[in-house]
Amino acid sequence: MIRLQNVCFNYDRDRTLTDISFHINKGEFAAIIGANGAGKSTLCRLLNGLLKPSSGSVEINGLDTGHTKSSVLARQIGFLFQNPDRQICRNTVAEEILFGLELLYKDREFIAERLEKVLSMFGFSAEDNPFNLSRGERQRLALASLIAVEPEILILDEPTTGLDYKECIEIMEIVREMNKKGTTVIMVCHDMEVVLDYAERVLVLSGGKLIADGETRSVFCMNDVLEQASLIPPQMASLAGRLGSGFEDVFTVEEMTELILEKSNEKRRVEV
Amino acid sequence: MRSFFDYIPGNSFLHRLNPLSRIFLSFMISIACFSSKSHLFLLLMILLNLVLAALAGILNRGMELLKNLSKFSVFIFVLQVLFVRRGEVLLEMPFNIIITEDGISTAIIIVLRLIGATMPLALMLSITQMNDLSNILVVKLKIPYKYAFAFTTALRFIPIFASEMSAIIEAQVSRGVQLDTKNIFKKTRLILPLCLPLLITSMKKIEGSAISAEIRGFYLRTGESCYRKYFINWNDVGVLLFAVILFISAVFSNNIKL
Ligand SMILES: Nc1ncnc2c1ncn2[C@@H]1O[C@H](COP(=O)(O)OP(=O)(O)O)[C@@H](O)[C@H]1O
Ligand SMILES: [Mg+2]
Repeated sequence: MIRLQNVCFNYDRDRTLTDISFHINKGEFAAIIGANGAGKSTLCRLLNGLLKPSSGSVEINGLDTGHTKSSVLARQIGFLFQNPDRQICRNTVAEEILFGLELLYKDREFIAERLEKVLSMFGFSAEDNPFNLSRGERQRLALASLIAVEPEILILDEPTTGLDYKECIEIMEIVREMNKKGTTVIMVCHDMEVVLDYAERVLVLSGGKLIADGETRSVFCMNDVLEQASLIPPQMASLAGRLGSGFEDVFTVEEMTELILEKSNEKRRVEV
Repeated sequence: MRSFFDYIPGNSFLHRLNPLSRIFLSFMISIACFSSKSHLFLLLMILLNLVLAALAGILNRGMELLKNLSKFSVFIFVLQVLFVRRGEVLLEMPFNIIITEDGISTAIIIVLRLIGATMPLALMLSITQMNDLSNILVVKLKIPYKYAFAFTTALRFIPIFASEMSAIIEAQVSRGVQLDTKNIFKKTRLILPLCLPLLITSMKKIEGSAISAEIRGFYLRTGESCYRKYFINWNDVGVLLFAVILFISAVFSNNIKL
């Protein structure tokens, strides 16, 4: 589905990305993590052809992005930026969603059907002015107009930065739902709790190099990798790490609670 | 994204000049370009711009500027050639379009002027900090701080808007707007609706900037508030003289027939 082979990229002189290769299958939910300036956004832009690799190749569904325009790739890839205001350019919610649909589809009935579906899915009222919505709502609108065209791949560059907890969960739940329906999701995120909750796979970037790529939980156990990328693992994972043996596979509050209760019950049973 | 106005730090002869001398020199080069009708003189002025850029250690920026201005000039050149109908006809085309010797000659002059007069201003801004610029406008030229601040802030916002615009274009291309087309007319037609987001983010930025200036006591500032002092030395005198000589030779260049 998405295949990167020995991709290098530089903006001016210095290397921004060095020799990146990976392969993401249909339906995967992957997170790209790393410190600011590690090259995460650059990598995302390479994926939808906004940037072309200096060397190596990026393939989306067999299409080489080097020879395909981003506006053509848009049919397959929905790209959500951190700032929704750069995307929203119409005066009502309905028009904004239609704008994206009309760019990619011609069939009127089909367009109307999609619009209705998305409006009810997100609970928007069609005639609202986007710029009177809150920041989180605008982000949801931007996401809605991407999802309206039902892309096979969703790329999210820090979709939840600057949102409050509730807004963040609202966005992520929609993304999860799309993922369950088969959409491939690639997300840049600074919130390790969110990454742990939603992503199945994690790619760690540090200084433009891919230093780890694997199942989320196993990557969060690689302390040297996290340290090198200046990342702090989810708090429960750190706590479990400090507690040492017996707590290896604990990552969430629920798991920790369960394990502690289990252990204390065991202890009580031994005492009795 | 870098723009043509970003300050490039350095310690060259030109960087160390009094900002006022730099402003004067660049304006004199511009005025000289507008006063001259000689192809040779205008070419020399463009060359001088490149030499000055090299002196300031920003030859790269100078060349880039020249490249971009040349692209833009092609339009002006074509328009000019088509609209001037005086002089000896060189070529007749359908639809009553004629190309004349005068047309070509004035088109060349206008293009060279445009390049020669724009470059010094952009180069001057590249080696002058906005603070210095507004201070000089206030202290030496006695322009009220309010207006000087507005002027330099407007300049400072150009690159910000430019990068904002390119981010908006990225966002729209990603959703399928064909802004990555090579066809200029199509591109222009597609870009117009995008002015709404740009307008909104611009208004937000400007409002933020105005409020933050206001709450820091902007209205208290007068010409005497300036902390930095600017001195004139012999280098500056030399540069000022050089600028005046440039202007005079521009006027004389019109009388010499080559
Ligand atoms: N348009 C650009 N021009 C030049 N350098 C850039 C540009 N965008 C980003 N960079 C540089 O590339 C590096 C990676 O940036 P980015 O991909 O935005 O990192 P991240 O998203 O991980 O914070 C940074 O050092 C940044 O300064
Ligand atoms: Mg980023």
